[in-house]
Amino acid sequence: MARFAALIKNNFAKVKNISTIFLFLLPAVIFIISLTMGRYQIGPFEVFKVLLSPIFPSVGDEIPDIARQLILRVRLPRIMAALFIGASYGVTGAGFQAIFKNPLVDSNILGVTSGAGFGAALALLFAGGPLVVQVSAFLFGLLAVFLSFYGSRLYKTSPLLVLTLMGILIGSFFSSMTSLLKYVADPLDTLPAITFWLLGSLTGITWQNLLPLGVIIIPGIIFIWLLRWRLNVLSLGDSEATALGVDPTKMKVAFIIFSTLMTAAAVSVSGVIGWIGLVIPHAGRLIVGPDHKRLIPVSLSLGAAFLMGIDDIARTVLPGEIPLGILTGLIGVPILVLLMRQNRSGW
Amino acid sequence: MLLEAKNLRFAYIPGQTVLHDVSLNLDIGDTLFILGKNGSGKTTLLSCLSGILTPVEGSIKLDGHKISDYSPSKRAQKLALIPQIHTPSFAYTVKQMVMMGRAPYLPWMGTPSKMDEEIVEQSLEQVGILELSDRPYTEISGGEQQLALIARGLAQKSSILLMDEPSAHLDLSNQHRVLEIIHQLAQEGLSFIISSHSPNDALAYADNVLLLSGGWVMDYGHPQKTLTEPLLSSVYGIQTEVIYQKENGSSTARAVLPMRPNIVKPESLNETGSFLYELFQNRNNSPQLIIVTGLSGAGKTTWCKHLTEIARDKGFKVEGILSPGIFENGRKIGIEVLDLSTGERKQLAKLRERGKNEIATPRWVFDPQSLDWANQRLEKGTGGDLLIIDELGPLEFLRNKGLLAGMEKLDRKEYQVACVVVRSSLLQKAIERWPNAYVVSGRV
Repeated sequence: MARFAALIKNNFAKVKNISTIFLFLLPAVIFIISLTMGRYQIGPFEVFKVLLSPIFPSVGDEIPDIARQLILRVRLPRIMAALFIGASYGVTGAGFQAIFKNPLVDSNILGVTSGAGFGAALALLFAGGPLVVQVSAFLFGLLAVFLSFYGSRLYKTSPLLVLTLMGILIGSFFSSMTSLLKYVADPLDTLPAITFWLLGSLTGITWQNLLPLGVIIIPGIIFIWLLRWRLNVLSLGDSEATALGVDPTKMKVAFIIFSTLMTAAAVSVSGVIGWIGLVIPHAGRLIVGPDHKRLIPVSLSLGAAFLMGIDDIARTVLPGEIPLGILTGLIGVPILVLLMRQNRSGW
Repeated sequence: MLLEAKNLRFAYIPGQTVLHDVSLNLDIGDTLFILGKNGSGKTTLLSCLSGILTPVEGSIKLDGHKISDYSPSKRAQKLALIPQIHTPSFAYTVKQMVMMGRAPYLPWMGTPSKMDEEIVEQSLEQVGILELSDRPYTEISGGEQQLALIARGLAQKSSILLMDEPSAHLDLSNQHRVLEIIHQLAQEGLSFIISSHSPNDALAYADNVLLLSGGWVMDYGHPQKTLTEPLLSSVYGIQTEVIYQKENGSSTARAVLPMRPNIVKPESLNETGSFLYELFQNRNNSPQLIIVTGLSGAGKTTWCKHLTEIARDKGFKVEGILSPGIFENGRKIGIEVLDLSTGERKQLAKLRERGKNEIATPRWVFDPQSLDWANQRLEKGTGGDLLIIDELGPLEFLRNKGLLAGMEKLDRKEYQVACVVVRSSLLQKAIERWPNAYVVSGRV
């Protein structure tokens, strides 16, 4: 009997490993497919050749220059941005759900997105260039989280609850401020710009935008990856984590700093894209269970794959681009509902 | 000494001390039970001992070193706190839950190794739930959850396990299963500090017992010595009976039962050998106190009146005061006070009207002069054979007003037989104050 149980267990582990490998291949496959997609059709082999050409100049000589330029200058930075941003939302969402002991939060819980939205709207109102908008969004995103965090320190009781409440309050405050800016904005010029920014888009991403994104998001992902098993302990709550020899405050503050920088960087580049941080960890738990040792890698790869896929839809389905914030909601909500129906045994 | 706490004092808010001067010792293989009512400071004490809370005063030594000198992870390697069972936010498997006990041994960026897995499996095996490894922790029974948490403590490889009410919310068989496993682990050399609501478990499993009441240590020592009727009565505020088992000439306490109020008829004083008869006989050896209790209108005053009459018939000298109600059309509209030695009466209280009064309960307004008079009567008396005090209520117990002369007389034991009326809601406070009293139901 014991041997039989062990046999089942081993096979089960194998199945899990296979699904893990599949999950890691998924973003790579979608990455290549995404590069082929668009008005100008380019086959996957050509894509490979173009990607190799900077290293091996002789490869893919026969490919027209326009295809080469399209892939290297337009599609590649955009798809890499989708990969980074999706991955970032996936891991920060899973992490936030752990440290807040709440499967219904994501990295926006402390108001970073609302702050960034206000920052971008402010810059757009004063006709700032793309760089100014990006920097302003980033800084106001950080400011919002800073205010939530220090606001919550004013109260001594139940820190987690107060922090959540403060995040909601600060988020609402910045949303109202953004509405105020929209109210006074020029309805022919500035208002549409603000509205489109808030709907989120990866249009016009260049290597220049990608650099700060990578510099912030890659170390952030590495940090959360390293922290992944400890997130289990943190998800038990402060006193139990302390009893298990973990300093929860230090870990949480470090996590909040990293994930806020990551989210602010993501929002400042792409505008507001919701739902990924909320939906992806749930999908991940359905596949590998709640253990963050596996959930973090899975959320990372699912998040990246999801946003690349959504962006493909956004730029190919209609003649004009569909804002990402619309699609993530349109697709993310039904997925979340389906997952909630499936996952009845608890998170 | 494995764990040594000296003169601990703790306050969550400065000035509101919840633990006073607590000292205890724990040796290898010891099982210490902490008993006390809800809110007596058991969980706070465990949190202090585990280093989660820092006491305001006093010292805790773990393995000879101050507990504050340990880093959180080093401390967790020596001492595990096992919380009350609760549902985590995420449905971790039993194995993943137990694996978290390895946290003190892993750096912040570490993940469990093969060796950690083996330790976890051994721990699960040790408490007998290895077959539940892959089940979600949220779906197993309460008893199994408790065992999983013990396994997590074992995976911590610490020599001390602090457990917060391990048998709470468990059925009888699971309580037994958990406690037996704790007992066997203690025999293997692990030390336990267990907060509990069960004096019976303490009698069965504890080497030492610490009785807490309002944050004070009432007693600390071997359960057979500490778990005595008056002490348990004063700690829990109920009358208790300790059941002994006689074996080979010695008797061992095996169980503690709460006692219900005795149903006694005042007329039984006339029957030789009855409870009241014996009580009056014993008054020459030591003062005897009867608390007459019951809900409002149960007949407590009538009971005392009957007893007074019967005692007088038998030639006993009766002193003290009765406070019968003044009725109008079947409705109680006032309270009288009657001095039993002289037969004088005064109106003591009337129904409360709107407005604020100095000496009042929610229903009654007391006449300060009548209260003074009643207090003087009580002070003057010598106690006689039977002292009746009807009644000691919220004024006396909660606000330190009213018939304080009566309270003091009882505190100083200046009586032979005293019969005091206390309503049911204040009975706990009365027993905490006079744990040797007999409680009698004042129903007629």
